[in-house]
Amino acid sequence: MAPLVEPSAGFKFDNVKRNQLLGDKGYKLPTATKTGTTIVGLIFKDGLVLGADTRATAGPIVADKNCEKIHYLAPNMYCCGAGTAADTEFTTNMISSQLALHSLNTGREPRVVTAMTMLKQHLFKYHGHIGAALVLGGYDSTGPHLFTVYPHGSTDKLPYVTMGSGSLAAMSVFESRWRPGMSRDEGVEMVKEAIEAGIFNDLGSGSNVDVCVITKGNVEYLRNYARPNERVEKEQSYRFRKGVTEFYAPRAARRGQDSAEMDTSA
Amino acid sequence: MFLTRSEYDRGVNTFSPEGRLFQVEYAIEAIKLGSTAIGIRTNEGVILAVEKRVTSPLLVADSIEKILEIDRHVACAMSGLTADSRTMIEHARVEAQNHTFAYEEPIPVESVTQAVCDLALRFGEGADGQESTMSRPFGVALLIAGVDERGPQLYNTDPSGTFWRYEAKAIGAGSEGAQTELQEQYHRDITMGEAEVLALKVLKQVMEEKLSNTNVQLARVTQETGYTIYTKDELQSVISRM
Amino acid sequence: MMDYASMQFAPTEVPVEHHSHGGWEPYVDNGGTSLAIAGKDFVIVAADARQSDGYSINSRYDPKAFVLSNQTVIATTGYAADAKRLVEVMEQNAQTYFHKHDRAMGTTAMAQLMSNTLYYKRFFPYYVFPILAGLDKEGNGAVFSYDPVGNMERVVYLACGSASALVQPFLDNQVGGANQRGHEGGFLDRATARKIAIDAFTSATERDIHTGDWLDLFTIDRTGIHREKRELKHD
Repeated sequence: MAPLVEPSAGFKFDNVKRNQLLGDKGYKLPTATKTGTTIVGLIFKDGLVLGADTRATAGPIVADKNCEKIHYLAPNMYCCGAGTAADTEFTTNMISSQLALHSLNTGREPRVVTAMTMLKQHLFKYHGHIGAALVLGGYDSTGPHLFTVYPHGSTDKLPYVTMGSGSLAAMSVFESRWRPGMSRDEGVEMVKEAIEAGIFNDLGSGSNVDVCVITKGNVEYLRNYARPNERVEKEQSYRFRKGVTEFYAPRAARRGQDSAEMDTSA
Repeated sequence: MFLTRSEYDRGVNTFSPEGRLFQVEYAIEAIKLGSTAIGIRTNEGVILAVEKRVTSPLLVADSIEKILEIDRHVACAMSGLTADSRTMIEHARVEAQNHTFAYEEPIPVESVTQAVCDLALRFGEGADGQESTMSRPFGVALLIAGVDERGPQLYNTDPSGTFWRYEAKAIGAGSEGAQTELQEQYHRDITMGEAEVLALKVLKQVMEEKLSNTNVQLARVTQETGYTIYTKDELQSVISRM
Repeated sequence: MMDYASMQFAPTEVPVEHHSHGGWEPYVDNGGTSLAIAGKDFVIVAADARQSDGYSINSRYDPKAFVLSNQTVIATTGYAADAKRLVEVMEQNAQTYFHKHDRAMGTTAMAQLMSNTLYYKRFFPYYVFPILAGLDKEGNGAVFSYDPVGNMERVVYLACGSASALVQPFLDNQVGGANQRGHEGGFLDRATARKIAIDAFTSATERDIHTGDWLDLFTIDRTGIHREKRELKHD
């Protein structure tokens, strides 16, 4: 039975049964855009660095060559997203709003564990149907924190993490070179290299490197920190000469007629 | 040759101490009993001419066929045991069709000739346990005429599986005399018209019967029209030019 | 233009993570793109050299265009192992033909032979989309298109492979003059055809994740086959 009153929040499941029926009959549901992605994060001496590539794909096609995968959560917290583009976008936006309200209510800067808990509870509730794989990082009153959050709601707290289809390529860099107590510049350089490992060795990742450095009381969002894949110039111009496009000759009479009949007073 | 006859002429796979295969040599001899066939190559095409031995007034002369089409661009005249040629021509036709099927182009004339000769050599016991399909060599020689991108060509094959390329060649009973005559008359700039007449003239000289439009066959192969056998009327008009 | 209806049983999408579940699959799509453009007295063939499987790069330089004779080139896309075998079979046949008939096999003969070779495996096809290009007997540029089971058509230009849906419309417009009012038609000159081939690949590399790394480009004319190797983006 359908509820008489529409719910004020949350997802609507009206079409679940219908879609299941259609699915059984062989109709395919539209597929969501997924971002084959490389996202990473690492802890260094004074804080943490987040990194992401900028390729968004729709199947084998590059849908966006320079998208942003490092999402804002709070002034002291950012979150890299991999997986279904819409899910990472909406999940981080929603948590961002709740964190803002939380801050207003408490009068404190939000903690990273708070964001992490909200994210995992939300994702767990939906049994993995919300396809968001996240790298969460921030600096709060208890220091720097770095988490991964998986679509089913599990989390890890680690000094260096990777996610997405390029996670293995990126992790190979961290596993061979990360060490405790690195400087900011060393951290940024290593994140860049990890993301580039994904960009060049994982077909789901590509284009540029975005970096975000979070330290106590400070955030540096380094959009397109590295651009190792500039488009090359074409061999020739593809400007069309005037008049190549076929068109129907306009009927001169119609213009006068239309303006006379058209009522523009409203 | 016959003086040296010995036990060595019994098997097709046994050399004599002098290094000869007698059965093959005898097969070649069989051709010399056959009716005469002539081929002449010109720059425009190739002419084939054969005599038909109409041994009885009751024999239907049209039933004797000694020039046959292998493909649109290749034809063949024969002398010897003409029944043997059935197998060879069938093989040549299959080879030609296979080539067209595989490559969408006409088979080269030399390749047809080579294919026929490969078959001619398959007498004897068959190699390494393979079943033998032929107990003796073919007793027939062929004149293979054709055109391809190398131009008009004429080949002669014999029962030993050997082939030669000729400008003009005669085989069969009257071949010795005919070949001498061809050698005298042939020149490099000979036209198709001249070759038609020469072929019949030479044939006439070596035939026992009086040459007519019923006891000879004439055919041509040209780049433009491929294989054509002459009708009685066309034959008559060539005869009238002799 | 091409009849793909006959290959419904062959997978046309890249199977991502296909190793982890389901039964054994005989085919893999290794991606990559190829194209050919025929001119009046030349033909251009181009193919990228990336060999991929899902989101992984198996090789940045595994050529998929091969010289079959001094006037014929074959470019392949699809399943790399099948493509390799197909090219081997064609090379063997070309060599046998040369010995048997004392001449090199012509482009049109090669074209028909490839159709036969593909159809011979009608019920376990080579999962390959080949392009055969070269000069015909008259010296004109010739491009032949195939489906995996041997359906053949002679065309003026063609794109195959993972970025074919991107490149073919570009060629339709730039080579075929589609949607260009007053297009003169006729064959392109060599320099323009070459530029279009290169631009097709730099553009395909931008948007198709399975195309990139290196470009092999062949120009075939009366004097023989001229080969260039160019760098494409590696991401």
